[in-house]
Amino acid sequence: MSKLKKVIENVRLWKGVAIVAGVYSFIFCVLIIANFTQINRVDPVNTKVLNTLVERLKENPNDNQLREEIRELDLLARKAYFTNQWQIKNGGYMLMIGVLVLIIALQFIRLATKGLPVVDNENDDKLLYTQNKARKWISIGGATLVVVALVFAFLTQNQLKSTFINAAQASNNEEKSQVSNSPVVQETTQAKVVETPKNVTAEVTDANKEKKLEVTTSKEEKKEQVQQPQVSNQVVTAANYPSDNELKNNFPNFRGFGGNAIAYQKNIPVSWDGSSGQNVLWKVAIPLPGYNSPVIWGDKIFVAGANASKREVYCFERNSGKLLWIANADNIQGSPLKAPDVQGDTGQSAPTISTDGKRVYVIFANGDIMAVDMNGTRVWAKNLGVPQNHYGHSSSLIAYKNLVIVQYDQRTNPRVLALSSATGDEVWSTPRKVKISWSSPIIVNTGIRAELMLVAEPSVSSYDPTTGKQLWSIDCISGEVGPSLAYADGVVFALNEYASLTAIKVGNTPQKLWESSDYLSDVPSPVATDKYLFVVTSYGTVVCYDAKTGTSYWTKEFENGFYSSPVIAEDKVYLMDKQGTMHIFKADKVYASLGEPKLGEKTVTTPAFANGRIYIRGDKNLYCIGK
Amino acid sequence: MESSDNKKSKISRREFINSSVRFSIVLGIGAIGGRLLTRSHARQMVWQLDTSKCIQCGRCATNCVKTPSAVKCVHVYSMCGYCDLCGGYFRPETKELTTAAENQLCPTSAIRRKFVEDPFFQYDIDEKLCIGCGKCVKGCGAFGNGSLQLQVRHDLCDNCNECAIARDCPAGAFSRVSSDSPYLFSGFDSKKKG
Amino acid sequence: MKKTVAYTVLIFIISLQLYNSFAVQRFPKPEFESGYIQPPTSTPDPRSEAFAILDVVVLIATLSVVTWMVLKKRNRNGVFWISIFSIAYFGFFCEGCICAVGSVQNVTYALFNPVYSIPITVIAFFAIPIIFTVFFGRTFCAGVCPLGAIQDIFVLRPVTLKSWLLKVLGLIPFIYLGLSILYAATSTDFIICRYDPFVGFFRLNASFTMFMLGGIFLLLGVFIARPYCRFLCPYGVILNLVSRVSKKHLTITPAKCIQCKLCENSCPFGAIDKPVQVKEKEESHKAVRRIMLLTIIIPLLVLIGGYVGSRFHENLARVNHNVQLAQILLNPNNTQPDSFEVTAFKSSGKSTEEFFKETALIVNKFYIGGWILGGFLGLVFGLTLTSLSIFKYQEDYTPNKGTCLSCARCIDFCPVKEDER
Repeated sequence: MSKLKKVIENVRLWKGVAIVAGVYSFIFCVLIIANFTQINRVDPVNTKVLNTLVERLKENPNDNQLREEIRELDLLARKAYFTNQWQIKNGGYMLMIGVLVLIIALQFIRLATKGLPVVDNENDDKLLYTQNKARKWISIGGATLVVVALVFAFLTQNQLKSTFINAAQASNNEEKSQVSNSPVVQETTQAKVVETPKNVTAEVTDANKEKKLEVTTSKEEKKEQVQQPQVSNQVVTAANYPSDNELKNNFPNFRGFGGNAIAYQKNIPVSWDGSSGQNVLWKVAIPLPGYNSPVIWGDKIFVAGANASKREVYCFERNSGKLLWIANADNIQGSPLKAPDVQGDTGQSAPTISTDGKRVYVIFANGDIMAVDMNGTRVWAKNLGVPQNHYGHSSSLIAYKNLVIVQYDQRTNPRVLALSSATGDEVWSTPRKVKISWSSPIIVNTGIRAELMLVAEPSVSSYDPTTGKQLWSIDCISGEVGPSLAYADGVVFALNEYASLTAIKVGNTPQKLWESSDYLSDVPSPVATDKYLFVVTSYGTVVCYDAKTGTSYWTKEFENGFYSSPVIAEDKVYLMDKQGTMHIFKADKVYASLGEPKLGEKTVTTPAFANGRIYIRGDKNLYCIGK
Repeated sequence: MESSDNKKSKISRREFINSSVRFSIVLGIGAIGGRLLTRSHARQMVWQLDTSKCIQCGRCATNCVKTPSAVKCVHVYSMCGYCDLCGGYFRPETKELTTAAENQLCPTSAIRRKFVEDPFFQYDIDEKLCIGCGKCVKGCGAFGNGSLQLQVRHDLCDNCNECAIARDCPAGAFSRVSSDSPYLFSGFDSKKKG
Repeated sequence: MKKTVAYTVLIFIISLQLYNSFAVQRFPKPEFESGYIQPPTSTPDPRSEAFAILDVVVLIATLSVVTWMVLKKRNRNGVFWISIFSIAYFGFFCEGCICAVGSVQNVTYALFNPVYSIPITVIAFFAIPIIFTVFFGRTFCAGVCPLGAIQDIFVLRPVTLKSWLLKVLGLIPFIYLGLSILYAATSTDFIICRYDPFVGFFRLNASFTMFMLGGIFLLLGVFIARPYCRFLCPYGVILNLVSRVSKKHLTITPAKCIQCKLCENSCPFGAIDKPVQVKEKEESHKAVRRIMLLTIIIPLLVLIGGYVGSRFHENLARVNHNVQLAQILLNPNNTQPDSFEVTAFKSSGKSTEEFFKETALIVNKFYIGGWILGGFLGLVFGLTLTSLSIFKYQEDYTPNKGTCLSCARCIDFCPVKEDER
């Protein structure tokens, strides 16, 4: 016992222990910190060196030496990663033991060297003095807090709450204006409101009761009115216009959902052969010519055709190719007697049809616009005035909620307008200060709102599709703009022959991200993903850019030129050349062809996609490709 | 005499105040406790991530207080297509479908590829090696059936009071779930255990 | 009638399509011919419930033992060994969670979020130490709390801080408590857990900065005893207040104080109140006037505090994830590529209207919370100022019931032996 006490009280021994333990702990501490800074917790092998080596291997797949090198490096990297982790873990334990010993030693030293408590008779910490000082400093501290908080508050005042409420209302208004515009709502409201008093008045036979009844009538009316919005809201959401998902599941207008050339369909075929008929499910002739592209809703596929005297819409059964109906666009009020002079490669029916699943909307080069229901019965038709366009009007329609939007960039009075899809009445019309253009509108959701984006010399402009209010505009383009825009991930891409290619970060103050003028297009539109932009030129070049930086990843020359626009489906780019060969390649930063099936018919239109199917409009025929 | 009486009464008054405050504190704690007990859960709550919300940002690997992370890739075999070209196993654009290092997507080589029968392969996760980075999950979700899913492994999770991944999860996919159904796979009923 | 039919058909089509989109599996499960048996997907179970109950039992047991050691046995060594046990059990074995300090947030969170069903064990961890403190003083801090215990063993060369400084620094925990409750109530963050400096040691794993912070606290603790407990711990604030009315409390001397002054410097935490001679007393009319003034000032301070808090609410709200995301979404000049948050939001398909509405609601919560937090701090400052103006006559050396951590160090310094009558 006394021996133990002696050991415990041996200050020199414990001092020695403390020094050794202290040095030991310090060394481990430094080692661990050094290791900590090295550790790459995320990804041991995702290093620049290794990735470039793998890239190089992809280029020379037969370089076995390179392969060995990668494997060795990979092994080294992984080994280093795990050793590093092991070191830190065990180092931690060692450090803990060291600190423990150090603490024990220090505690023993303290115990042994503890003298008698010091008693100072002078009590310097006088109560009054203490209280005074504490009061003073608490006041100072409190005042400092107040001042700092206020300064911060006023410097960064942002009215966050009202900002957010406004933002919420902005997106809500969109919906509401839809509801009030919607004819179905009005119809039902009127019908019911009229109905109620009728019923009541029929019952009013006794004059004595009239007063009472009046009261009840008005009450009932009120009730009706209160209930009305709910009912009609349901109707609207259920059926008045399709949801984004429905639109995505179909192929409702030129270049699919939103006109943005992204197809959401799956299992798209990559091989077929038009001459042997391999994977060609059906092929039918389209009576009248037209350079518009097919659109799909449900089991129906629509195309339009026209010559100088006749304008027609055709609906085919999607699975069999059976012609279901033809809708004639004739006897339209204000329609000119003589079709306008147009260029051969534009034609009388270049704009693509748009559909919202309730009706099909079509516009022709003479300014006739028509809506027919899904069974081919005309709902409304009118003439917007013959477009003054020396090649011929070619901008496609796009249906948005309960509107049909027309980009009418002609020589005089260029404008963009929206017609009620149910009645054809003009809902809004916004004048545009632009030259004639042949591009088509796109509607995209930028994350906070839906925007309608148009391009024509000199600008790319964005509009609120429900009100037509211009949201922003940026000058960046010139010439006779043919290609439509492409949008992905907050960036919109515009280009035109003899002008430039511009990537614009959208927003209230749009910004040019990058520009390029190496490869430009005069007909085909570009297509973009979050990462890549694919530009297709009419003379046969395809270029892949980094969407965010403009770095060109690859350029590929094809034999035939392109008029058709590329569409991305399942991360593959589908691009039809003028001779009818589909070029399918990966939407990726290296060019990898996935197939070049031939249709055997000249094509200038953009294909439409359905699950497991591609629909292509050739010069004369409509093809259904699938297994 | 008088002063001591005075003192005594002072003390007793203070004692009275003290005991009433004490009483109210106990009452208050009792009230809060009781109120919470009504909606309390006898079971523990554990952290789990909802695979349907997950965007595979990779923060599970970096933000967990454990190294390596307690979030692991879990293979829901019943959803797997047993593909030869597995988007979760191979780097994109891999031409040779072999287990060579240059073809593997997993940074720690934690996925084992096993031949089953032509042309099907089984993929197993070695959880000792998995760091929960989610690369394979992303690959499988993009090109395959999505049978690889990130989940918190409860045998490894410390069940921190506030999960360090949850507070930085961009998709808000983490939540506290009852420990009697502690997994949130999609397309798979965890109670059936396979 | 016709319309209804049309709608029904349309809805039918929609539902059909929805069904289809769910049923899509790109690669159907193969039909194996070789008799292959699919392995099961393993789902290891979480830690058994029994452990959670064990934690509560151990908590009650250690609290009882420490209380007994402090009040009955009056044995510092016993307290020390229990704190070692607490570090081992609550620290290293339980890896720091759940702890009573953090449970404040769970309780707040549960009170404000009806959806969260708080485990009983968490309520126990919150309530039991408070109940013990009501009756026996802060024995929880003495040796049960692992955060306190790990700092306690680092108390080697404590310096005595001026008591006015202790009063001033002692207000920081109130601010910390207020903030942590605000953030827990708005489901923003658990800041106590996030900035817990010692839990990294218990888990042997933390970010580099948290390790550094913990190390700094421990090294600082060599000279300034238990810095986290005294100048930060939000749970300590609650215990401090509760302990002031505790039924029993640690006493320095077992019998009557003989004014030997030996214990005067024994407390590393400066928690011993010294005798106050009557001669020190201020002129009474002056003191009375000050108290009157301060009593009037308290409501004013509450108002000022509330106002400042409400002005400051946006800065407080910016910690919230949703608020951050909403700001990014609304920022028109944002040229950076989408962050993970924005990508996740976009892919979640949540309507922006709903999201902004929710966020505005959160900001509003912070506005109200700002008023309450500011008012609370104004009240705390006012009351502290008032209490600093009250003259309390005192004869003996006694532990300050609020700040005393019941560590029992002072007991060893007292030469008075227990009456053995």
